[in-house]
Amino acid sequence: MKIAVCVKLVPSTTALIRVSADGKALDCTGVEMVMSPYDEFALEEALKARDKAAGSEILVVSVGGDGAAKNLEQAYALGVDQCVHVKAPDADAAAAARCAAAVLKTFAPDLVFCGRQAIDDDQWLFPGMLGELLDLPHVTAASSFALSADNAKAECKRRIEGGEETIEIALPALISAEKGLNDPRSPTLKGRLNAKKKTVTVKTPAELGLDAAAMAPALKVEGYAPPPPKSAGKVIAKPAKEAAAELVKLLREEAKVI
Amino acid sequence: MGADILVVAEHKDGKVKKTACELLTVARTLAAARGGKVLAAVLGPGAGQAAAELGAWGAETVLVGEAGFEAYASLKWTRAICEAAAARRPAAILMSVSSLSRDLAGRVAARAQAALASDCTALSAEGDGFKIVRPMLAGRALVTAVHAGPGPLLATLRPNVFTAEKPAAPAAGTVEALACADDPRDQRVVVKSFAAGGGTRPELTEAAVVVSGGRSLGSADAFKVIYDLADALGAAAGASRAAVDAGYAPHSMQVGQTGKTVSPVLYIACGISGAIQHLAGMRTSKYIVAINTDPNAPIFKLADYGIVGDLFEVVPALTEEVNKAKA
Ligand SMILES: Cc1cc2nc3c(=O)[nH]c(=O)nc-3n(C[C@H](O)[C@H](O)[C@H](O)COP(=O)(O)OP(=O)(O)OC[C@H]3O[C@@H](n4cnc5c(N)ncnc54)[C@H](O)[C@@H]3O)c2cc1C
Repeated sequence: MKIAVCVKLVPSTTALIRVSADGKALDCTGVEMVMSPYDEFALEEALKARDKAAGSEILVVSVGGDGAAKNLEQAYALGVDQCVHVKAPDADAAAAARCAAAVLKTFAPDLVFCGRQAIDDDQWLFPGMLGELLDLPHVTAASSFALSADNAKAECKRRIEGGEETIEIALPALISAEKGLNDPRSPTLKGRLNAKKKTVTVKTPAELGLDAAAMAPALKVEGYAPPPPKSAGKVIAKPAKEAAAELVKLLREEAKVI
Repeated sequence: MGADILVVAEHKDGKVKKTACELLTVARTLAAARGGKVLAAVLGPGAGQAAAELGAWGAETVLVGEAGFEAYASLKWTRAICEAAAARRPAAILMSVSSLSRDLAGRVAARAQAALASDCTALSAEGDGFKIVRPMLAGRALVTAVHAGPGPLLATLRPNVFTAEKPAAPAAGTVEALACADDPRDQRVVVKSFAAGGGTRPELTEAAVVVSGGRSLGSADAFKVIYDLADALGAAAGASRAAVDAGYAPHSMQVGQTGKTVSPVLYIACGISGAIQHLAGMRTSKYIVAINTDPNAPIFKLADYGIVGDLFEVVPALTEEVNKAKA
């Protein structure tokens, strides 16, 4: 089987993100960059699928700036077969999906795994768009994934409002990973050493046949702002019963929300 | 690109969801600014019954897909929405953030050549296009962006952020069939079964009030104090990741960066410290209440009202007060 995984390098979940003085850019200098956590689940699921289907290979694609190399070294350390870095530091989620689609069209994967969202732009756009561009059916935010004995289809679970769906999908297919899909392994020392010997194929969007129009942002960003500051709230310092009575009164009469 | 606004209206067995009313309220403003009409597309079992209510909320035309839409299938739904968009050429397509839009939006955007803006907290008409504001980086930044074509805007809107207001006079709500022939290739991905769970409380992502508990609850049984307050308020119940990881609450209750994003009118955090990943999932709530023994817990920085105290004393007392106030 041919298995593809898409990964993205993002600021860590706790990193403090500053907005530039003119409000036109996000300042990520000195911020720790990591593989988007959902992509780790995607990568692990690909490794599991390769273990099951003998003779499979895994191709990992990362679209982004130079830092993407960090993700790909991590992927090599985990034992994937090939890595492609599409150098497109300014690609938005849609442009990134076009880049990944261009790489994967020639690879012709049986399975593509992505994270359900990249935790920087939080669009949840990439997996569905990539599925559409590659004409693959997809499952969004799969919390479980099981290949059939003949690897021709898979069964996934997906949590939605009010319960859980069981979904059957025919391969070739694209799966986006929910937290808890699996328990991602850590690279071994041997894996890390091997990773140093591997090379990443680097492509530009132009080399993939994507022109400026294909890479243009879907929306024009006007600016960024930090979340609006909250004014200091009221702290009720009274014994539990009195505090509860006062809170209910405030919620009813001041906030008018209950 | 025309001037109409197409709303993909969600419903449950024909009952229109509040989030769809929020979309229609926004759509009316946008359509008025652009000189267009509000269209609604409604799919699935019971869709026909939803049409009249959608008209009452301002939909001039309701595109109904009921026959052939018995069971959810993402590829068929994508085709139906895209065919409606191709025929009507709306300036914008609106969906609410939900499992449905999370599943469809990327696909629809690719096929309809639309620009997707997910999880918007503001949307307005701006010149020939639209302006949106959306949180990114789990709410650590807000981005403002404009869309001016060439294709339509596809915006998903965060529930509870936009106020639903009925128009003074209902719109026609003229029903038209949303015809979309079956394609065997739609069967490549099918929902085989659905296991209901989550009980009788409102859906976390849609609820007006959410009561959440953290690690400090200490056990699944102890969560009863949270559920009791939630039930007294008619609220949904949530949890921090620490509580979920410890097995005190199911993952479906997790609020935060790796859980659900909620934006209720009232969020009550009980014994939750307020880690940045938790704040990511609830910081746009209108009113935040924190109950915590530690006066320095970060959650108090975001709280409109705080009680420094033991949740095992404060929360049952609150439940009692709420019940008293209701009586
Ligand atoms: C990649 C990543 C993703 C994450 N995603 C999420 C997410 O989606 N959602 C999420 O919630 N977290 C998430 N986290 C975890 C997050 O960092 C925190 O660990 C978690 O939110 C803490 O949960 P808590 O507030 O319940 O527990 P704690 O931080 O342990 O806080 C417990 C609080 O309870 C108070 N307390 C103790 N006893 C009482 C009492 N009797 N009465 C009142 N108060 C009491 C304490 O003072 C303390 O403030 C994520 C972390 C990472 C690294």
